[in-house]
Amino acid sequence: MSDLRPDPRPFPKTLPEALHRAAIAFPDKGLAIFDGRGRSHERRSWAEVRGMACTGAERLAALGVERGDRVVVCLPSSWEWMESWLGALLLGAWPVALAPAGALGSSEAHTRRVAEVVERLDARLLVTGASVLDEAARLAESTEPGSSGEGAPGEGSGREALRELAARGQTPERLAEITLRTVKFARPEPEEVAFLQLTSGSTGVPRAVQITHAAAMHNNRVSDEAIGAPHGAPAHTWADAMVAWLPLNHDMGLVGCLFMSLTHGLDLWLMNPTTFLARPGLWLEQIARRGVTFAPAPNFGYQLLAERLGGAMGRRGLPEGLDLSGFRAALVGAEMVRPETVEAFVGLTEPHGFDPRAIRPCYGLAEGTLAVTFDCRGEGLRTRPRPAGTVSAEDLGGREVACVGAPVADTEVRILAPDGRELPEGEIGEVRARGPGIFTGYYNDSKATAEALVDGWLATGDLGFLHGGELYLTGRLKDILILRGHNLMPHELEWLAEGVTGGGGVERAGAFSVDGGPEGERPVLVVETGVRAPDALRELAHDIRREVGRTLSLILADVTFVRRGKIPKTTSGKVQRRELKRRYLAGDLERLDTVPET
Amino acid sequence: MSEKDRPQNVALDVLSKISGIAEGEIRPQMDLTADLGIDSPKALQLLVDLEDRLSIEISDDDAAKMQTVGDVLGYVEAAG
Repeated sequence: MSDLRPDPRPFPKTLPEALHRAAIAFPDKGLAIFDGRGRSHERRSWAEVRGMACTGAERLAALGVERGDRVVVCLPSSWEWMESWLGALLLGAWPVALAPAGALGSSEAHTRRVAEVVERLDARLLVTGASVLDEAARLAESTEPGSSGEGAPGEGSGREALRELAARGQTPERLAEITLRTVKFARPEPEEVAFLQLTSGSTGVPRAVQITHAAAMHNNRVSDEAIGAPHGAPAHTWADAMVAWLPLNHDMGLVGCLFMSLTHGLDLWLMNPTTFLARPGLWLEQIARRGVTFAPAPNFGYQLLAERLGGAMGRRGLPEGLDLSGFRAALVGAEMVRPETVEAFVGLTEPHGFDPRAIRPCYGLAEGTLAVTFDCRGEGLRTRPRPAGTVSAEDLGGREVACVGAPVADTEVRILAPDGRELPEGEIGEVRARGPGIFTGYYNDSKATAEALVDGWLATGDLGFLHGGELYLTGRLKDILILRGHNLMPHELEWLAEGVTGGGGVERAGAFSVDGGPEGERPVLVVETGVRAPDALRELAHDIRREVGRTLSLILADVTFVRRGKIPKTTSGKVQRRELKRRYLAGDLERLDTVPET
Repeated sequence: MSEKDRPQNVALDVLSKISGIAEGEIRPQMDLTADLGIDSPKALQLLVDLEDRLSIEISDDDAAKMQTVGDVLGYVEAAG
């Protein structure tokens, strides 16, 4: 373990201050980024990263980017990402990280999504790969004139939005040719918006969560304290490094990994999610090599490791001599924590010196900057039985519910009944949270903001109960699917299905997730159709699965067909997904045919 | 090169192991996700296994074009 390190300078109040401090105060610390398959990495000091940010700011300024402008960065975790995102930050513009395209499958759906985000945020600039810009130009030609981003479900954004994307887009290669222009860096106040985090909106359009410098810095400080709590000192005083594979468009990657390490002067060893998916063992190998570490991952990451490297599927196992005794905090969050996953992971790693008490469940969401609760006991996973008599369609997870810890400093959590009453401990209701890390609003969406922030409390849409002041999550009220730690809007699945059936407004589809045990949530589609012949239904199911696979790289747990009009809807025609799921689980749906998973 | 080591046969072996579907039942027109159940984690495993077994490198752009078994077989044949 390293010697305890005192903070060399006062804790920064804004993200640019944190970056400047890292460059000066932690000269031997920095960032390493792995190549696509994790075979090698390049390392730069935080001072060099700051240098890149300054260069980025100068290039963006030369393109006319100003304070408050939205700059969308749609790149993998890379030096180019650092230059553009951190460059925008230094200019006082609002950087927005957007996921790059997946490993396999449709670039078209991804390009349309990028166009939608650029349009919604009226972004001044988009930095992305040439393939996205080429695809946008191609799609703009083949899309009907006059079609806008509105309407046309399943079509994503229209011709104008695609043209705008192509017009506002810059590749890192083109940016590199820009003559630098001396700029004056912004000196933002802590209360000013620092960046936007994209999240799923219930109406099918992405929402951008506004995070202030104060919220980001508060979350960094209290997370550091919470991670360090069982060790008697904040994490930065005893940790050397973080090893991360979370994407920077995700709050856990951006705030939990990048900001945490640069604010607290840790080394960050960063790989892309695709690298982890290709070689999950690399994460543990790097953790073992980098001294005293802590690292976050969604439940799915631990599950993938346990499946690929341990158990029946284990093909390679962990390397002989791998020493995980320095892995001091294995944070688990971003989706439901599964006791069986934790058990399998501990079974894989305990023979390699991993201390099961290092398992540290936590809970957070983009609207809370990141962390809302943290397990601060350091006793390993603790569970409680699900309270009796509260089974509902919103339930996720099994009978034993994981404790995700107590609220971080200065933050309060309470549980509300549907009628708004505050519930006593042990009773399940909606989780509400209040504190300095809670966001101030969605960008340009006051209606959504008013729904999410009620009397200063964030309505999380998650269900749970408190016990001994600690939170246990049991399910979800809001209509999103969380698959492999990523939020997916049900519309994304529904529009794809409706695109295949060609049903337009007549034949609708409803999507929700069901509990898949250790596999986490699994997506289900219920689709209305006029088709009756079993062969034709099978073909339709196959086409829907193929479309979902190509576009979202997802495997549906089930595709079920029902007659037109059989999906419950509100009087205004909105699909009632929770009622649909209730009927599905209760066997109350009149299925035309059930097509089992292939 | 023995029959077993031909790139297409190696690719079929990899596809079979990842999908759990017998080699003999895998057809070129089959869709990687809809028919073989290969989601994004498995897709990455597929790329890495192909690269390791065939000593090739598959670019992200090329990977993005692979949607069917036939696409994979065609790619490895051309690359090998």
